[in-house]
Amino acid sequence: MIELVEVHKSYGSVKAVDGVSFAVDSGEIIGLLGPNGAGKTTILKILTGYHFADSGSARVARQDICSHPLSVKQKLGYLPENAPLYNDFTVAEYLRFVAQARRVPSDRQQQRCAFAIQQCGLQDVVQRPIAELSRGFRQRTGLAQAILHDPEILILDEPTSGLDPNQILEIRRLIRTLGRSKTVILSTHIMQEVEAVCDRVLILNKGRIAATGTAAQISAEFAGGERFAVSVIAPAGTDQRVFDDIERLAGVQHVRISRLERTVRISAEVSLEPPAATGGGQDGSAAEPDLRNAIDYDGGAALFDWAVARGVRIAELRPLRRSLEELFVELTR
Amino acid sequence: MNPIAVIVRKELHSYFNSAVAYIVVTLFLALTSVWFFAVYQFAARDFASLRGYFAVMPFLFVVLLPAISMRSWAEERSSGTAELLLTMPFSELQLVLGKFLAALLLVIIMLALTVTVPLTVVPLGRFETGEIVGQYVGTLLLACVGISLGQFVSSLARNQISAFLISALVLLLITLLHVATAVTHLPRGAAAVINHLSLLYHYHAFERGLIDSRAVVYYLLLSVGFLYLNAKTLLLKKWS
Repeated sequence: MIELVEVHKSYGSVKAVDGVSFAVDSGEIIGLLGPNGAGKTTILKILTGYHFADSGSARVARQDICSHPLSVKQKLGYLPENAPLYNDFTVAEYLRFVAQARRVPSDRQQQRCAFAIQQCGLQDVVQRPIAELSRGFRQRTGLAQAILHDPEILILDEPTSGLDPNQILEIRRLIRTLGRSKTVILSTHIMQEVEAVCDRVLILNKGRIAATGTAAQISAEFAGGERFAVSVIAPAGTDQRVFDDIERLAGVQHVRISRLERTVRISAEVSLEPPAATGGGQDGSAAEPDLRNAIDYDGGAALFDWAVARGVRIAELRPLRRSLEELFVELTR
Repeated sequence: MNPIAVIVRKELHSYFNSAVAYIVVTLFLALTSVWFFAVYQFAARDFASLRGYFAVMPFLFVVLLPAISMRSWAEERSSGTAELLLTMPFSELQLVLGKFLAALLLVIIMLALTVTVPLTVVPLGRFETGEIVGQYVGTLLLACVGISLGQFVSSLARNQISAFLISALVLLLITLLHVATAVTHLPRGAAAVINHLSLLYHYHAFERGLIDSRAVVYYLLLSVGFLYLNAKTLLLKKWS
C-alpha cells in the first residue's frame, strides 16, 4: 500500500530523513516512534505530498506521490502535527468545507459528517467556533477531518497529543477500529501508544530507521532480557543473596530490605537473561510445557518457580518496561 | 461542486468573518468620496465626468489591495493550515485561482458599492455611459493585477505584515514607473518602454473611459503571470 525506497530529505543543511525505506501493507497499523527531530513528521509530510523527497521514491497504492499527487491525495486522510484548523469556522462549517474539498458526493456529505462527529465525540461543540475550542477538541476536530471522507489510508501525526487520559483511550480505540479496514501510519513518542495501537513499529533516530518490528520484538531485542520489580517476604535474616540462585539472573538493582516483625521484605529490580533458543520444540508432542524451555520461557513464571523452590513468598511481581528514552540511549550509543 | 468554487466559498467565508474586508471596503468608499467631493471639488467644476473619481483609485489600491491579499498564503503557512489545504485533492492552480477569484469577488462587491456615486451625479449633467463602463472595466483589471501580485507575494512572505509591506511597495513601484521617465533624461526608446510598463500610464486611458487593448493585454498578462508564479511557488516550496 505504501512504499518508501531510500528516501532522503534535507532542510538546508539539516538532514531530516537519511535513506529511509519501508513498506506498509494494507490494513496494517504502523507506528513511527522517535524523539523530536528524528524525522517522523518529515516522513509523514512526504507521504502526504506536502513535501517532496530530495531523492528516493515514495509510492502510495503503487502510484508515485510526485507524479500523481491528486489521485494519491484522494486516498489519504491526514492529521498534521498540532491539528491546524481554520479558526474562523465553526466545527460544522469546517467539516462541511472538508467534505466538499475531499469530494464526498453531496448526498453522502451529511451522513459522513455525522459519522465523523459521532466517532470523535464532537456532538457538544458542533456549533462552536473552532477558535474557542480546547486543545482536546481541536485535536478531535482534526481527527474528524481526517476520517471524514472514509480514506483508505490514514496518516496521523501525534494523534493523541494534548488529550486527557480518557480521550487518549477513546482515540486509540477509534484508531484500532478504523485500522481494521484501513492502513494507518501514526507518529508518536510514547512507547505505550505503540504497544496499545500498532501492529508494527519503526523506531527512527536522526533520520534513519534504528529498529523495526512489533513492540514486543523490539523490546526483547534491545532491552537485553526482561526486568521485573519483585518484592518477596522472606524469613528474617535473609539478605539480597536470596536472588543469587535464580537461573538466568542477569542483574539485581535497587535492593531494599525492610525488617518486619518476624520476616523481611526484600524489594529489588531483577533482570533476567532470556534463554538461548534451542532448535525449536521437537515436534511439540503435547508434552508438559517446560517453563524453563526457550520456547515457552516466561520470566514471571521463572520467578514464581524460584520463589517456590526458595521458600519465599512473592508480595509483588511487576514487569518493568524499558522507557523509550532508555531504548534510545541504547540504540544511539 | 467545482473544486475552485469550494476554495472561493471558503475564502469568502474567511473574508467576511474577519474585520479586514469590512475595514477595506469602508475605507475605500469613504476615501474615494472624500477625495471626489471634498478635495477634487467635483461640485465646483463644470465637468460632466467621473474622471476625478476614478483617478484616485489606483493610489488607494496600492494600500488596500495588499491589505486584502496579505493573508491569503502567509496566514495559511503561519497557522499550519497550508498543510491541510495542500494535502487536499486540489491542484496548485485550482488553489491559486480559487483564492484569486474570492479576492476579486470582494473587490467587485466593493466597486459595486461605489455605483451610488455615479447614480447620484449622473442626473446632474450629460455623462457618457460608455465612459463610466470603461472606467469600471479598467479599475477592475487594475485590481486583478494588484490582487494577483499581492497573493503571489503572500505565498513567498513569512508573515502577513511583510506580505503587506512588500506588495504595497512593489505595487507602488509598478504603478508609478512612468514618473521615472518624467524626472530623468532617458533615450526616447527606453522611456517609451518604461512608460508602457507603468500601470498608471495605461490607467490614464481607462480613466478617460477608453478601453485601450494594449492596456487590457498588459494588465491581463501581468495578472496571469503573477497567478502562474504563485502556483509555481506553491510547488517549489515542496522542495524547500
